[in-house]
Amino acid sequence: MAGYLLVLAAIKLLGLGPVEPIRLAPPDGRAAVVIAPLSATFMYFLAVFSFGLEGDLAARRSIYPARMFTLPVTTAALAGWPMLYGMAAVASLWLPTALFARWPWEINVPVIWPALLAAAFLAWTQALTWMPYGLPGLRVIVTVLWLAALDAIIIVAFHYKARELVMVAILAPQIPLAYLVAWFAVARARRGDVSDWRAVASGFSRTRSSVGSGTSRTFQSASRAQTWFEWRRHGRTLPAMVAFVVPVELLLLFIRGNDTAPIVFEILFIALITPPFMAVFAAPALSTSTPFVARRPLASANLIAAKVKMTIWSTLVAWLLVVTFSVVALMLSGRMPVVVERVRAGIEVTGTLRGIAVVLFVFAALVASTWKHLVQSLCIGLTGRDWLIKSSVLLGLVVLIAVGPIVDGIIRNRAVQSAIWNLLPWILVALVCLKMIAGSWVAIRLYDSRLLSDRTLVAGAACWFVTVLAIYGVLEWFASSPLTPRYFLGAIAILQVPLARVSAAPLALAWSRHR
Amino acid sequence: MSDSVITVSELTRRFGATTALASVSLSMPRGAVYGLVGANGAGKTTLIKHVLGLLRPESGSVRVFGLDPVADPVAVLSRIGYLSEENDVPGWMRIDELIRYSRAFYPAWDDAYAEELRRTFALDPAAKIKNLSKGQKARAGLLIALAYRPELLVLDEPSSGLDPIVRRDILGAVIRTIADEGRTVLFSSHLLDEVEQVADHVTMINEGKIVLSATLAVIKESHRVGDRVPSLDEIFVARVGTSAGSTPET
Repeated sequence: MAGYLLVLAAIKLLGLGPVEPIRLAPPDGRAAVVIAPLSATFMYFLAVFSFGLEGDLAARRSIYPARMFTLPVTTAALAGWPMLYGMAAVASLWLPTALFARWPWEINVPVIWPALLAAAFLAWTQALTWMPYGLPGLRVIVTVLWLAALDAIIIVAFHYKARELVMVAILAPQIPLAYLVAWFAVARARRGDVSDWRAVASGFSRTRSSVGSGTSRTFQSASRAQTWFEWRRHGRTLPAMVAFVVPVELLLLFIRGNDTAPIVFEILFIALITPPFMAVFAAPALSTSTPFVARRPLASANLIAAKVKMTIWSTLVAWLLVVTFSVVALMLSGRMPVVVERVRAGIEVTGTLRGIAVVLFVFAALVASTWKHLVQSLCIGLTGRDWLIKSSVLLGLVVLIAVGPIVDGIIRNRAVQSAIWNLLPWILVALVCLKMIAGSWVAIRLYDSRLLSDRTLVAGAACWFVTVLAIYGVLEWFASSPLTPRYFLGAIAILQVPLARVSAAPLALAWSRHR
Repeated sequence: MSDSVITVSELTRRFGATTALASVSLSMPRGAVYGLVGANGAGKTTLIKHVLGLLRPESGSVRVFGLDPVADPVAVLSRIGYLSEENDVPGWMRIDELIRYSRAFYPAWDDAYAEELRRTFALDPAAKIKNLSKGQKARAGLLIALAYRPELLVLDEPSSGLDPIVRRDILGAVIRTIADEGRTVLFSSHLLDEVEQVADHVTMINEGKIVLSATLAVIKESHRVGDRVPSLDEIFVARVGTSAGSTPET
């Protein structure tokens, strides 16, 4: 992080000049250059210092490492030292960033309260995750709600332009409070005091076991058993994430004044892009395998098929939740007429059939995008190679960081826009060629390794081709105009349908399974 | 079909600078209880992983039932029952779910035998794996390794987690039963007295090399000193220079 900041500072001094100030707000939009790595490092610190990387967040017992309970130190020290180290780390993450921002970038950012906020955020994360809970999964709910409340308080204070002193007054007491909670949590965990509230929910348990009685049936095939296994392991991750986040987003519909069509549609848009966005975060967990799975007498292709089926179910359940939440929120908030009115107006312009087709196409594209984000990292994660996984994450972060300034530069430079427009056919051809070469290479490797049968390979290629044709047909119907040439629509269809990365998943698994 | 269940020829495997297996060759006859003994870090688990196809031979070859376990994992794994040292059965599963899930992979799964084993091992069907004791987890792993009466049972340090009485009674009975039915057992351990109780063939492995491989009777006879027949532990110390059970983990 320090190296990254130094490089940026050097670029600023040598490239942009020492006197030109950098603005965080648009149209410069360079904030992402700092914010993205800062956020990534901060999240990593949260995970490391709360011991979240080694514990089971969904379990009832504390995630504080049990091996440390036998150390000859007091409980106060067990809670205090990791908290102190963690707070020092996150605060020191902010302080050099703020100093670099002030000089040489000349961005006027506050120094003390963001560091305090980071420290308080970490302290509460530690305290709440170290606490033993009476129900599985309660840890995640309590921690997310508490941290969201802390965030909300700070956002409100920021909104009302609270002075730094006020911010410090709000945040400083959080740290001793969090420490007391952490001390209580570690003390309970150390003496093995874990409440069990499952008996309280016995009614629910009875319902669940009656529902689960159907699960005593035997699986009709090994593939179905494996799909069930994958679903139980990771299938509920995306629906759970969506179920946590989307209702909070839809609460904005209930705020007085949020009743105009642009605002209602903006809120709906945020809710609708949540599943594809969340899928990016859910994907790494499901792109893993274990020695237990590797020993199943099932072909690697079948193990991948089980994962793919699980991702399809996961995507559908997540979207079922989004649609249900959205409809219920629109009805309860009284914003449904706003949507109906705008949809009716849209249909008048496009025609009923076309209007319905547009809505269905956009919806299908969002669902497909969610699924695509879930499966596209399978070929990396399933290799089980740390160096490859970490490199891909690093590359992703670099792209994420670079894309903002690049787009910003393109938007502000007409000459660049013109050059890109002129080169667009060649850019598309290059991307399509790259995709087809990668796809062909994977197909040859699959054929050589006999991981897939010839029939499956041909059927897969045919499916891909038919899907591309179908998307091209729909695009041709919607978007065909003199300004949009056919090669453009064809290239879009080819680039949108996953090919190489999904097909490479069996190769990746086989590589990891037989090291 | 070959009489050897497992044939390993000139198998070499390195992990960085460490040579885990150096030109290992062995042939394991059908119907034998085969003890693979050695100190911790000797290469026993690496050899077993090659047998299961979880590791690809760097040089040499491995054949199980005459098949390459890497090229044809389904055909090989469906005939092997395996209990791992780590016992990596997923903690979130309940016992009944584990049984239901596992039976889907093995057409020869015997429901009555599985239920008998579950009762013998006193496993509650509603209990989650993660809530079981170490010994109970090992029993759960043993249950799913035995319930389809595999042709080859591979036990990698099976005694870890089992108390001495259960270890002697259950494990001995299981291994003998399977061997009597003409099935084969590959049993890896660094507790040599345990191996001595159940194995009829013994292979000693040290620093990735096989130092001794023969039937237990031949090994004992060849190391007899006058009227005294030494224990396997004594033979191991004489051959390798250190006690298998007392060597620290490497």
